[in-house]
Amino acid sequence: MRLDDSEDQAAFRAGLKAWLAEQLPEATPSAPRAWSADELRAWSKALHAAGYAGLTWPSEHGGRGLSPSYQAIYAEESALAEAPDHAGVIGLGMVGPAIVHYGTDAQKAEHLPRILSGETIFCQGFSEPDAGSDLASVRTRARRVDGGYVVDGEKVWSSYAHLADHCLLLARTDPDAAKHRGLTCFLLDMRAPGVEVRPLRQLSGDTDFNQILLSGVEIPDDRVLGEPGQGWRVALTTLAHERGTFGITLTARLSVQLDRLVKTAKACGADTDPRVRAEIAELYVDLQGLRFTGYRALAAMERTGEPGPESSILKLRWSQANQRVSALALRLLGAGAAADGTDAFWGGYWQHQRLRSRANSIEGGTSEILRGIVAERVLGLPKSR
Amino acid sequence: MDFALTEDQTALKVAARTYLEDTYGFERIAAFADEGENDLAAWPELVRQGWLDPDLGLAELVLLAEEGGRALHPVPWFATAGLALPVYRAAGVEPAGPATLADGSGTCRATRRDDGWRLDGAVQAVLHADVATEIVVAARTPAGVALFGVGRAAASVSACAGIDPLRATSDVALAGAEGRLLAGPPSAAPLLAAIRSRATTLLAGEAIGVADRALAIAVDHAKTRSQFDRPIGSFQAVSQQLADGYAEVELARSLAYRAAAAPSAEAVACAAHAASRAAVSVCETAIQVCGGMGVTWEFPLHRWFRRALWLEAELASGPLEAIAHSLFGEHS
Ligand SMILES: Cc1cc2nc3c(=O)[nH]c(=O)nc-3n(C[C@H](O)[C@H](O)[C@H](O)COP(=O)(O)OP(=O)(O)OC[C@H]3O[C@@H](n4cnc5c(N)ncnc54)[C@H](O)[C@@H]3O)c2cc1C
Repeated sequence: MRLDDSEDQAAFRAGLKAWLAEQLPEATPSAPRAWSADELRAWSKALHAAGYAGLTWPSEHGGRGLSPSYQAIYAEESALAEAPDHAGVIGLGMVGPAIVHYGTDAQKAEHLPRILSGETIFCQGFSEPDAGSDLASVRTRARRVDGGYVVDGEKVWSSYAHLADHCLLLARTDPDAAKHRGLTCFLLDMRAPGVEVRPLRQLSGDTDFNQILLSGVEIPDDRVLGEPGQGWRVALTTLAHERGTFGITLTARLSVQLDRLVKTAKACGADTDPRVRAEIAELYVDLQGLRFTGYRALAAMERTGEPGPESSILKLRWSQANQRVSALALRLLGAGAAADGTDAFWGGYWQHQRLRSRANSIEGGTSEILRGIVAERVLGLPKSR
Repeated sequence: MDFALTEDQTALKVAARTYLEDTYGFERIAAFADEGENDLAAWPELVRQGWLDPDLGLAELVLLAEEGGRALHPVPWFATAGLALPVYRAAGVEPAGPATLADGSGTCRATRRDDGWRLDGAVQAVLHADVATEIVVAARTPAGVALFGVGRAAASVSACAGIDPLRATSDVALAGAEGRLLAGPPSAAPLLAAIRSRATTLLAGEAIGVADRALAIAVDHAKTRSQFDRPIGSFQAVSQQLADGYAEVELARSLAYRAAAAPSAEAVACAAHAASRAAVSVCETAIQVCGGMGVTWEFPLHRWFRRALWLEAELASGPLEAIAHSLFGEHS
């Protein structure tokens, strides 16, 4: 049981820190700066050039073949330095690994280098109006035609689809097969005729996710990822990768948020209020619990290739903590919490966080679904249906 | 970084669990608790198994404390290994049997006589003083705090009723009691502080064990108890509470192990807070899930709930303010 970096890890961390310090303006004491889409792409290029994209990808696909702990160090340091995400988080973190696992040589050659360099942005087209938590009930239909498929249907809540070049699409190819069996994954070109993206506005006012309408979209055979009918397995692989070191990224970002909360409490003169102090201290304990649980899950992953069972609670408890941080921040602002935009403290940063974080317990699997997974798969309780 | 148990640590934990499960069923624990007694007959076996070995590091001790909490291990191991042993180790001697620590640094005085040291004063609520062979007493000397071994027969020990009968405490009065010097000033004061940190970490480990066992009892019950023709564990209102309990245990476990691996003041405070909170909240969830049965005397859960409340009383005051202090600086 050891908590410090190995020699190689320490060297990697030091190099990364120095690089981040050189590339980024110093972390702000208040609200973080916003990044435009172009700046994000430029950042992805720089990351790639410096060798920090695809750390765990095999080297024959442009990665560095490092173990997940390096990805975790990257996640931690870049969040602490308030670096933006790689523009193609979904491609880099989820779709890429699925292509490495299931893709043909041609698919690998086409997509992997571009995902790494940030040239290609992927979105994930899983959810539908009638298939959210119950993902296996997707209805988007891919009909077999000569040389490929024709797709009709509708996807929702697709993050970054408005920026995406490609979509990892989950569609039903065999309506007669059992629910989980008749699904296939496709690498859909978002510019193909018949693909229409409509922005959806979130309650925070952001327009980061979208509806994707698909009518008569032709997808050639060579765009099938994995075997036809195996879409469910491919989808699960991408979701498993989402869980990998994601908890560590979330925790590091939460620690930055908590720092901002402390600064806000001081700015509001609430730092001497014993109840506020106790509440923030409790959030700090939650944060540290998440942090070290993330490290335990990582250690399990380094040893066995799978994150440990404790990883199943990271997103669940992170969403609670993250929501509590912004809720408390707004309460500290008192009547000022009703302001927004430039009139508000830090330009409305906390108002936005309070609204945006409401989605945390829904996106990427709702808290109820996550608890269900823990109950059935970890505690071995009987199925609820 | 490799924040996982080593093979040796896992083996130690498994061996401890097997021994405790084989030795202490629900009924035996209940019998000891109802009599307010400890299983002193098992002490030599414990020593033989190495529970007091000098080569156990804090991480190993936390694992034993965790298993002890899981089993409600009815022996004065925590008082001995957690509180008294570091003093004996510093003095280069072995304790003669179960021992404990009475921190009388504010209320006891030691005076030098021709034939050695004499102690006067009183210390309240000393854990397991009733069964300790020797009580380690912190007392003031003209040069500062020192630590003395006092045979139980030399002290006046009167038992107090407590919420957890397996954690009996006693008031200890000393009137010219003979003490043997184990650690003198100036090393005694920092030794006491180190013991406090170590004891807190061990109790955090114990609290994880308490929470983990309460969860296991409730999960078992939820799998076997049927209502409306289905096991109650298939109702989400039940299973989701248990899943939250699991989350509570795992987060606290990470913090307890981390405090054992790198015991800074901050790490110890986080572990203490998270673990005592987990113990209480998971015991409460477990009782809820067990329904009417859960609130009977016969059903074993209240034994763990009592330990959780004892732990909360020991651990919960302080850590949050210590953490707030480090986040904000001194409260003016
Ligand atoms: C910000 C954001 C970004 C997203 N990005 C993407 C994306 O990029 N790609 C993508 O494919 N999807 C994306 N999603 C979709 C997300 O995965 C779904 O919203 C989520 O899985 C829930 O599905 P739903 O919205 O249909 O809710 P529903 O499944 O209809 O759930 C509604 C409520 O019912 C509860 N519920 C449902 N089933 C059960 C059950 N069995 N037991 C207990 N409670 C249950 C849920 O917990 C929830 O409280 C995004 C969502 C958000 C909010």
